[in-house]
Amino acid sequence: MKKKVLSLILSTAMVASLAACGSESAPAATDGGQSTDTAAQTTDATATESADTAEAGSYELTDLYITVDGTLTANVDNGQDAFIEQWEAAVSEKIGHDIKLHINQPEHSGYKDNVAQLLTTGQPGDGQYPDALIMSATMFKQYQNTGILWNMADAYANAEFQSRITLPSINENMKTANGELYAFAPTYGNGCVTYIKQSWLDAAGLKVDDIKTFDDYYNMLKAFTKDGQTGVIAAGFGKLDEAPYINYMPEFWQGAYPAIYQKDGQWVDGFQEQATIDALTRLAQGYADGVIDKDTEEASTKTAREKWFSNDQTTSEGVFTYWAGTWLRTLTDNLDKNDVDADLGDDRLVQLPPIKEITDTWGGYINREAPVWVITDDGDGDNSREQAIFDALIETMLDGDKVQTLWTYGAEDVHWSTHAESFTTNPDDPDKKKDYEYAEGEFHLKQSPNDPNSVWKKNHLDPVLVIAPLTNGFVDNDELVQAGNKFFTENCVDAPQSPSSEILTEVEADLATDKTTLMNEVVAGKKSAEDAIAEYQAKWGDTITEILDELNAQ
Amino acid sequence: MFLPVVIYVLIIYYWPMLGVRYAFYDYTLKKMEPVGLKHFEKMFADADFWKAFFNTLQLSIIKLLITTGTAVIVSVFINEMANLFAKKVLQTVIYLPHFMSWTVTAAIFTLFLSTSSTGFVNETLKSWGLIKESIDFMHELTLWRPVYYLVNIWKETGWGTVIFLATLAGINPELYEAADIDGATRLQKIWYVTVPELLNTIIIVLILNLAKVLNLFESVFVMYNNRVFAVSDVISTYIYRKTFMTAIPNYGYTTAVGLFKSLVGCALVLICNWASKKVRGRGII
Repeated sequence: MKKKVLSLILSTAMVASLAACGSESAPAATDGGQSTDTAAQTTDATATESADTAEAGSYELTDLYITVDGTLTANVDNGQDAFIEQWEAAVSEKIGHDIKLHINQPEHSGYKDNVAQLLTTGQPGDGQYPDALIMSATMFKQYQNTGILWNMADAYANAEFQSRITLPSINENMKTANGELYAFAPTYGNGCVTYIKQSWLDAAGLKVDDIKTFDDYYNMLKAFTKDGQTGVIAAGFGKLDEAPYINYMPEFWQGAYPAIYQKDGQWVDGFQEQATIDALTRLAQGYADGVIDKDTEEASTKTAREKWFSNDQTTSEGVFTYWAGTWLRTLTDNLDKNDVDADLGDDRLVQLPPIKEITDTWGGYINREAPVWVITDDGDGDNSREQAIFDALIETMLDGDKVQTLWTYGAEDVHWSTHAESFTTNPDDPDKKKDYEYAEGEFHLKQSPNDPNSVWKKNHLDPVLVIAPLTNGFVDNDELVQAGNKFFTENCVDAPQSPSSEILTEVEADLATDKTTLMNEVVAGKKSAEDAIAEYQAKWGDTITEILDELNAQ
Repeated sequence: MFLPVVIYVLIIYYWPMLGVRYAFYDYTLKKMEPVGLKHFEKMFADADFWKAFFNTLQLSIIKLLITTGTAVIVSVFINEMANLFAKKVLQTVIYLPHFMSWTVTAAIFTLFLSTSSTGFVNETLKSWGLIKESIDFMHELTLWRPVYYLVNIWKETGWGTVIFLATLAGINPELYEAADIDGATRLQKIWYVTVPELLNTIIIVLILNLAKVLNLFESVFVMYNNRVFAVSDVISTYIYRKTFMTAIPNYGYTTAVGLFKSLVGCALVLICNWASKKVRGRGII
């Protein structure tokens, strides 16, 4: 009997809660016949804002919540506390009142879904919902039309840093046809270049200057492939869920672009083009010949690069296409750490100029669309909160001085310093030991907070890629990094712009999954490229047509 | 006295269940609109969903039968071992994989079966001259499921023997003595005494596990890849992809899929309860 009473109570409570919950959050109808929970969120946010604000336009931002990915290298294990402390001091001084910075830095690989959850379930002022956040170009295009991002066109136009911008086209190109700007890119995108191990070239009796065409490149890979060693490795044959898709294996993809992009003013689906069929066929040949490492199919970027610079070079690869500039230094340092080609020093790697087939089609390596900062719009129609966020975060980020230095190099006397000092990396290893000595007033990077055997490289902004340079003269004079950046800028072209389409946003993940499956099947020799594209057209043809119609009508 | 328990149950078990209402809403960024049964219609029309549904049933049920069968056979062999020390060592060794996480297990087997020069199995087969080209165990449609079952056998057989060994320990020794007097061989004793005594336990184990067949995620998630989706994608991985791999997910749709899965799971529990009542005279709930 007791059991039955208990069951009855539980069931009643469940039904009552459901009803109560339903009525509590049942969306109220709006004028347009739509109903949204956001209306409630907006009301809450407005109420909070009203309480905090004496009048519109004088919003006092006391707490700034930002969500960042792994590109903020001053993470919690790497001196983030000091970064926050110095940022708060510098920005409080600039804006004239105290401000606290709260950084939410989810796992880099799960960033996209973390952001989706935060923006869906959170609301401004709940202590988690980001006031501003970083997005990749692809991600930004998916969010651009959702109404969740603030149009910062006016704030950007009136920003103090305008007078110092050297690359205005980066942000101008992100504006919509109506002149709206929903994101801000503090740097240009950067891209990947092909690195070859000098020792492997020497062993094969090859010179980088002789690698000019795909045939030369392919023969080099063949020469590298023997006794467990392979020609090339990458994180996937193509990264079909992230623009610019082809940048990890550009020699094989050549002029193909396996996604929707603009060609001669019209949006087209590059995955269905002959160039993609040809590229897939080349990849399949490379896989069959064994010049592409079999681990490529499943490798993450971390797995691929660690295998490439591993201390076991007997199962490694000679070629790796990866990020330009700072990464040339990082890859070289990692080879050094693993005792690979110690005698070659900073000449361990050579950068391969784009092969003929790339220059004849794209014109060079692809410079990806820049990652951006966006500001969330609370939807109350009043811009004072959003403008305050812009002023505190973005305006100061490119101040050319203190705050920009924080975003570029990190915290003073933690990541960098101008005080006289000397330190030694790898003091216990005579082969790797390196002494550093700096005079008073000389800008220099310090040892990494979490690894005293390596020197800190940079924080969030790459000083070479930034659109408005530092004005305080703080420059890290690493020759290798400078050479890497110079090589890339001389050999790159801008990536096609990502499309912004509602239908595409809805199906993009499934589309990328299916395209990746088909690509992998073709490369592994399970089906021909033609059959794969036919299969793709049968499943996705109608949807792609709808997407292209939507885009071309914009 | 039971009030704290009721409150605990309400908060921990029932309150989160209120989220099932999202199955009837479009729930994305800045939007929560009631849409009735739209998500269920979409789900039932999606070939990928049905593929995942039938994969789930097939993988789970075959895995259950194989691992239970293996556990029974291993239990009987362990029970027959006369050397107590060897018996204990063997038991411990086969229990160990159960305590290894699925992530580690998948990493080990992926490396072990890899087609690259570090793949132990392929390199060994090649060095013995049994194969010329490496076999892509993890990416071949025809091989993925057998590999999946083998890994499950390796990982879960030891743990599965616990309940059978307990049952075997409780078999009346007089039955074996009687069989000895009748001149039964060792194999005959296993077949005519041990197996019939274990049968009730085997059926109970199968029934209890049948209720959980739709809860298949981690083991598949860490082992599957794009090329074997056709034979490996299960409901939970389908939900995962629709929720976490999508830039702006519609939580309403994935809740609907989850709700459907729960309803089928609930039906299976009730069927198993009924079966349990038939077999052992009392239910499992």
